[in-house]
Amino acid sequence: MIEILISPQLAFSALVLGSLYSLIALGLNLVYGTMRLLNIAHGDLIMIGAYTTFWIFTLTGIPPFVGLPLAAGIAAAIGAILYFSIFRRQLSGIDRVERIEANSLLLFFGVSVILQNTVGMMFSGSPRAYQFLDTVYEVSGLMMTGNRLAILIFAAIVLTSVVIFLTRSQYGLSISALIQNQTAARVVGINVSRLQFVSFISGFALAGIAGALVSMTEQISPFMGFPFTIAAFVVIILGGLGNIKGGIIAGMLLGFVEIYVVVLTSANFRSMLIYGLFVGILLLRPEGLLGKTRRH
Amino acid sequence: MTSAFSLLKTRFVWFLFAGLLLIAQVPSILGSYWTLIALNLMMWVAITQSWTLFSGMTGYISLGHVVFYGVGAYVVASTFNTIPLWLAVPMGGIAAALLALVVSVPVLRVRGPYFVILTFGLAELVKFSILNLETVSGKSSRLLFGTPSIEILLYCMIGLVVLATLTTLFVTCSRFGRGLTVIREDEVAAATVGVPVLRYKIIAYTISAIVPGMAGGLMALKSTYFEVLQVFNPIISFTVVTMAIIGGSGDVRGPFLGAVFLVLLSELFWTTAPQFYMILVGLFLILFVIFAPNGIAAFLDKLQISRKSG
Amino acid sequence: MKRIVHFIALLLCSLGLIPAQAAEPVRIGFSIAKTGLFAQAAPSQITAYELWANQVNAAGGLDVAGDRRPVELVWFDDESDPAKSAQIYEKLISDEKVDLLLAPWGTPHHLNVAGVVERHGFPMVGNTAASVAVREVQPGNIWFSTSAIPDRIGPELAALAKQSGVKSVAIIANVLPFAQENLQFLVPALEAEGIEIALNESYPPDISDMTGLLSQIKAAGVDGIIALSYPADSFLYMGQAREVGIDVSFEFLLVGPTISAFSQAFGDFADGIVTIGHWSPHQSKWSRAKPFFDAYVAAYEMNPDYLDTALAYMSCEILEQAVATAGLDRDKLRTAIASSTFDTINGEVSFEGVENAVTPTAFLQLQGGDMHLIWPEDIATASFSPR
Repeated sequence: MIEILISPQLAFSALVLGSLYSLIALGLNLVYGTMRLLNIAHGDLIMIGAYTTFWIFTLTGIPPFVGLPLAAGIAAAIGAILYFSIFRRQLSGIDRVERIEANSLLLFFGVSVILQNTVGMMFSGSPRAYQFLDTVYEVSGLMMTGNRLAILIFAAIVLTSVVIFLTRSQYGLSISALIQNQTAARVVGINVSRLQFVSFISGFALAGIAGALVSMTEQISPFMGFPFTIAAFVVIILGGLGNIKGGIIAGMLLGFVEIYVVVLTSANFRSMLIYGLFVGILLLRPEGLLGKTRRH
Repeated sequence: MTSAFSLLKTRFVWFLFAGLLLIAQVPSILGSYWTLIALNLMMWVAITQSWTLFSGMTGYISLGHVVFYGVGAYVVASTFNTIPLWLAVPMGGIAAALLALVVSVPVLRVRGPYFVILTFGLAELVKFSILNLETVSGKSSRLLFGTPSIEILLYCMIGLVVLATLTTLFVTCSRFGRGLTVIREDEVAAATVGVPVLRYKIIAYTISAIVPGMAGGLMALKSTYFEVLQVFNPIISFTVVTMAIIGGSGDVRGPFLGAVFLVLLSELFWTTAPQFYMILVGLFLILFVIFAPNGIAAFLDKLQISRKSG
Repeated sequence: MKRIVHFIALLLCSLGLIPAQAAEPVRIGFSIAKTGLFAQAAPSQITAYELWANQVNAAGGLDVAGDRRPVELVWFDDESDPAKSAQIYEKLISDEKVDLLLAPWGTPHHLNVAGVVERHGFPMVGNTAASVAVREVQPGNIWFSTSAIPDRIGPELAALAKQSGVKSVAIIANVLPFAQENLQFLVPALEAEGIEIALNESYPPDISDMTGLLSQIKAAGVDGIIALSYPADSFLYMGQAREVGIDVSFEFLLVGPTISAFSQAFGDFADGIVTIGHWSPHQSKWSRAKPFFDAYVAAYEMNPDYLDTALAYMSCEILEQAVATAGLDRDKLRTAIASSTFDTINGEVSFEGVENAVTPTAFLQLQGGDMHLIWPEDIATASFSPR
């Protein structure tokens, strides 16, 4: 048992899973943090990204890394359409924050249903998959499948660059300020609605990227998105809603918890544990494990 | 209470009873297929009505009402052929209410989006716990043969609709109901003017679990096959919220209007273009949230006012 | 609408534009999961129905006790909801007044529909349902074509493992019904064969990583792995077993390997995987098997699902042959299905009670990109080859 627990194999899997969780939660968090919109269609944009990459690879043989920007672009374009047709109106209203949150859940539920069924209509419900980079590399006893290693590397690159962008660049700092305090951001002359638009489509693009990465290892179908949405929500609750760094850490944490608890107890408890943790955190520390106490 | 009884004289209540009497005639006039549709319609009205009793009045949006439906269904399915049904179905309602009561104290302290996601997570937690329970006990699926006919289920479901609607009507007109509305507007202010906030929320939450529990029990009897994932399907929670929004969540007529609208829309389209129907549902939800956040009910009122003034 | 179509058809006939078809089409109804959770499983079944209908129509129509009539498929989306499926069969029978029924997809749907066909006395040949619970269904109006019933899979799988030289196994099982039923019968069967069970774990349907489980299996040092899995977790297993370095001679996955996307995703790496399935185009004793395979590949440019598509097509063949002798009369049809022997792509089939009494419980193995029957011996198209 001890040997399994300390094996690098387990740590690698936890890293891959954790980085994927962090990545899918990042986009969701960005949209929530800057606009208080709860995007339950997030998983469906992952699905869109996955389909884009799948078709590009299957039809032209262009590898997913090259297809990835296009997946991000298509997701961002969908984001732009939704922003201008639906959400700009919501955000500019004088409604209370709570109302925007509740409304956004319903609006995105509508979006989710539309996306799933449009893709279902276009490509049927058949599961799809392709073979890419599935050689197993061995580094001093640690075995890594190429595509899983690629997920880890790409997720790490994206996560680091987003964090650097948010903490170092002028533009990123404005977004961080917006997340911290919207009213104050407006007062110091930050163009809030412009930043909100950028955050909105960035959140969508990040989902598209996650989808491109996921498609390398999993079968894809129009209804694959929901579990990802759930996972992303669990992560951002753990990290504190709107807390970008908290979300990244929480994603990694969840990956490790999931992998190691299965070994320590039983795989059978996996889902009970995840949702138990989720409910427990919400009850005991609704601002998240890593969140600051904040009252609306 | 006097105002509640005066409500019985309103046009809506008479419309309602006339409509329900009409629906009770469906089995003899339109046959077995339409009886099933009527049963579904009544189920949605009953659950949505109970949902509005809590979520519509307090503003706490529950995205996990399926948990009560599922618990009720599970009670009935797991006691099938050991406990008589007239007892098992109400027991389903009681079990759901007990669950609501037990979780209410910690759950209702959580507010806003946290509450929405929490109710969803709670429903999933209960689903996976029961799934585990079934696995451990070696009961992966259950067959229910010899259940009551669909007509009988329909009459029982109409009974639930009446129960849920009258409860909502009486609550709306009571001190308790006004207290809940104050909580929705401003919880802190409600406490300062002497509304027992926590107690009111707990009572409303518990009451709103009873009817879904019984409805779940009845719907389990409709199928010959019981499977945990089926009765805890999160889509049920989403549909209830959608119906309440489209109908108008602050209004006792809302659940009727929302459920009738979606069930009719579904009958029109799913036969010919199922995916298109789902896309339409998504579109309507978005349109209603943006342009008619108070639902069809408010729209009807506006229509009436403009007709009177015009 | 229908009347208008008929009117136009009549008009065109009288003008001599289309050949007059004296016969009304035979309308055949079923429900399918076009949307929702099972939408990804549905194409394997509906393609079989469509292919069959096209073939029948191309051959001049369905033989209804001597008359040739074209067939028309009438289907509705059940949104992956078994309760809705029952509602649809209610509609098909009482509202649409279809002439014949084909089955929905999956065990829950079949068992829900069983109540409806029983109430209406409408015979239906089932296909993609496999559960010991089918035996509790009152025989008479529904028949199950599959031979993959868990209480038969258990002993047969244990025997196959024994014959393949397996001494100890690790079992991992999804908590969903079909897997758990199999588990229930597999464990005693393995014990009876003297095969040691080194590890026995269940996991939830939404598991997202198996490294922990697989590391434990690897550490257990078994020579056989039996994964009672559903399609999504079969995919997960395949990807991660390789990474963990699972190297055993006998690897069994319950549901998934027969799907076309499975081979697409894993290519050569999937070679040697054993799964349930009782049909293969390579069995030359079944004269209809290869032509069906070729026609399917020509029509859809992918391989059929060796389990679901084959079963769905078989159920069409059974119905076709029963209608040829009995016509559309429900009582005659019921007797014909219950008492005749049918010639299908899976060889001869006849029913006893609700069950297929002929087709043996069998296993397939992926060998060089092809699915071969490896068990039992009398229908095997290849012998088991260790991974």
